[in-house]
Amino acid sequence: MFWHIFKNRFKCLTRDKITVFWTFMFPIILSLFFHFTMSNIDRSNIFKPIDIAVVDSNLYRNDVNFRKVLEDVSTGEDRLFNLTVASREDAARLLENKEIDGYIETDPQICLIVKKSGLAQSIIKNFLDNYLQTFSAVNTILSQNPAKRHELSAALNDYKAYIREVPPAKAKLDIKPYFFYSLIAMACLYGCFLGLREVADIQADISPLAARINASPVHKLKTFLYSSSASLIIHIAEILTLLAFLVFVLKIDFGENTGFVILTSLAGSFTGVSYGAFVSALVKKSLNVKIAILISTVMTWSFLAGMMYTDIKYIITKNLPFLSWVNPVNLLADSFFSLYFYDSLSRYALNTIILLLFAVLFCSGTYLIVRRRKYASL
Amino acid sequence: MQVFKLCMKIIKKNMSVLLIYVFVFVTFSIIVSLSSGSRNKETDAFTVSKTSIAFLSGENTPLVNGLKEELGKIADFRDLPDETRVLQDALYFREVSCIVRIPEGFTEKFLKGENVQLEKTSVPDSASNVYIDLSINKYLNTAKLYLKLFDNISEEKLVECLRSDLANSSPVVLKTSNPENTGAGMEYYFNYMAYTLLAILLFGMTSIMLSFNQKELKMRNECSPLNPISMKLQLIAANLFFAVIAWAISVIFSIIIDFRNALSPNTFYLVLNSFAFTICGIGISFLAGSLIKNQDVMSSVNNVVILGLSFISGVFVPQHLLGDNVLKVASFMPVYWYVKANNTIAELERFGFSQLKPIFGMMLIQLAFALAFFAVALVVIKQKNHE
Repeated sequence: MFWHIFKNRFKCLTRDKITVFWTFMFPIILSLFFHFTMSNIDRSNIFKPIDIAVVDSNLYRNDVNFRKVLEDVSTGEDRLFNLTVASREDAARLLENKEIDGYIETDPQICLIVKKSGLAQSIIKNFLDNYLQTFSAVNTILSQNPAKRHELSAALNDYKAYIREVPPAKAKLDIKPYFFYSLIAMACLYGCFLGLREVADIQADISPLAARINASPVHKLKTFLYSSSASLIIHIAEILTLLAFLVFVLKIDFGENTGFVILTSLAGSFTGVSYGAFVSALVKKSLNVKIAILISTVMTWSFLAGMMYTDIKYIITKNLPFLSWVNPVNLLADSFFSLYFYDSLSRYALNTIILLLFAVLFCSGTYLIVRRRKYASL
Repeated sequence: MQVFKLCMKIIKKNMSVLLIYVFVFVTFSIIVSLSSGSRNKETDAFTVSKTSIAFLSGENTPLVNGLKEELGKIADFRDLPDETRVLQDALYFREVSCIVRIPEGFTEKFLKGENVQLEKTSVPDSASNVYIDLSINKYLNTAKLYLKLFDNISEEKLVECLRSDLANSSPVVLKTSNPENTGAGMEYYFNYMAYTLLAILLFGMTSIMLSFNQKELKMRNECSPLNPISMKLQLIAANLFFAVIAWAISVIFSIIIDFRNALSPNTFYLVLNSFAFTICGIGISFLAGSLIKNQDVMSSVNNVVILGLSFISGVFVPQHLLGDNVLKVASFMPVYWYVKANNTIAELERFGFSQLKPIFGMMLIQLAFALAFFAVALVVIKQKNHE
């Protein structure tokens, strides 16, 4: 009996193009869009040398110190500025055409001219401040002991870097992978559309097909389990294909724990299908209403898990941690993220346990609602 | 007016779907306006950019406090507990751009002239890091200069000297041609509107067209005593009416949410541009409506079309972050030109013809797209009628 129901159900489901589209094609298409648009997202804040100009004047040409300092920071691989020396009119024109972020006047005093406030402009100002402040320090020192004049240039040239970079975590700080983790989490929960059909097709008051199945001499729970396993197998196959697509085609880094990544996908798929079944059993309204409830809950969860805007996830985790524990999409996305980012598995384990609790809740809820249902008339 | 009324009924029936898009749009706009509350508004005076950092210190000495005070000029300190996971999270989700940690015994060793370094954990290569590095190194190098050349300087005296030196600041002249310009920021709402408006137009218009294109219904309508020309005109009128209402609602919402900028000339051109886009959206919906055959396909095709156009054209992710190849492909789509026009308008400070010319060009491109969609749709309809 199992084989008979399973096989026919399998055929039935794979021929339902719309469900296959939403549970399989849609996440893949979405991941492609993510891939095309996110390729530069982690490079957006990378420092690039700032384009500046300095106004050419007698004062500037004769101010050897300032010229040397400015030229020093404008040469080499890790230079701060791309420097142009220009006349006052040219510099103003360059600024107007947004070819430079600002220009420096030296006559009568050092001064910065910009068009707007921003990080690049602030860095230029910081540099100029730096020069003035060192100058002031030198004056203070010389006024105390003029004899130090000849030691000064050696001391000034002995510029030290007082910062040691410490790597933050084993993984890179790229934000891009997180979008894909939340995407695959959403895809897992999209399994609810399959679960929805499973319950709809055995509730005799919903569809004629279900009425026919109810009249057949097979135990209802068995029918349900057999056909649900077809749904689950299909969805697992879809999710694993999506995972393979992300890993091998889009080259998304899932960390090194491949086994756990697959396990999470399976758990997610199971939770998704059972969620659909649960809602379908719980809500006694038309199919459209059930679909609307499923879509809106899954999309809200995805949004709160940071699929559209990662800051949301962080804000919620920090301020309303409870909300992040009752959100299956977030639990899944966070599991993938923990595997990628953290050294220990404790957070991953916690996520997975809560997720499985959800699955148990959905399954037992469905069972309690669907069992022993009898219809006086149809 | 039977046909017109029927169209309105169809729209009413689909209202729940359409309202979801309006709701999402409003939510998005509110989030954007809340998160941009701290964004630098263009003012008459230059304001120094501040970046968020975490400052963890193993000791509390005048030197370290002086350093913190100096950093405070360019950084906002976030109070974070010293736990690895919290700090990692804060960095990953960019709450802070770096974490500065002063090891214990730093001051003592520094004052003795020993080789010491403080620890910094950061998002690699980011621009705000350059900024922090500059400040820290400046402070400590100036301090080193004093230690070397100023005889018998005490820690307190050192910090005092540093404070007075570092109070020096170079003057900045802000040269905006029009300080009144407040259009910056509004482009976010208008860019995102491309997604909402397109979704509403596509769902609304395709559901009208789908109902009228059902074979039996069409046959029944054709043998009705109603003049076919009047019927077509009513249909067109209903679609246009719907589109204009949808446009007006979107515009009103974005203006209400960002009311401070509502009266700037930039807003006027943004609204004009969104109208050009609406016409283009009508074209796209008309074409989709004539190609799609049933309700189920409609929802999947529409979603893919809307999301696809929005993603590659810079609606969700700003255009300057997209790859060149993506933008090249996107430039064959109208949404790209709409977004590009919005971004250009938001930066406008003067409104002479030479500044506005490229913007009108982009609007014309959108209208040309609209024309092309209508032409293709008419060919499709003609073909179908032959069948």
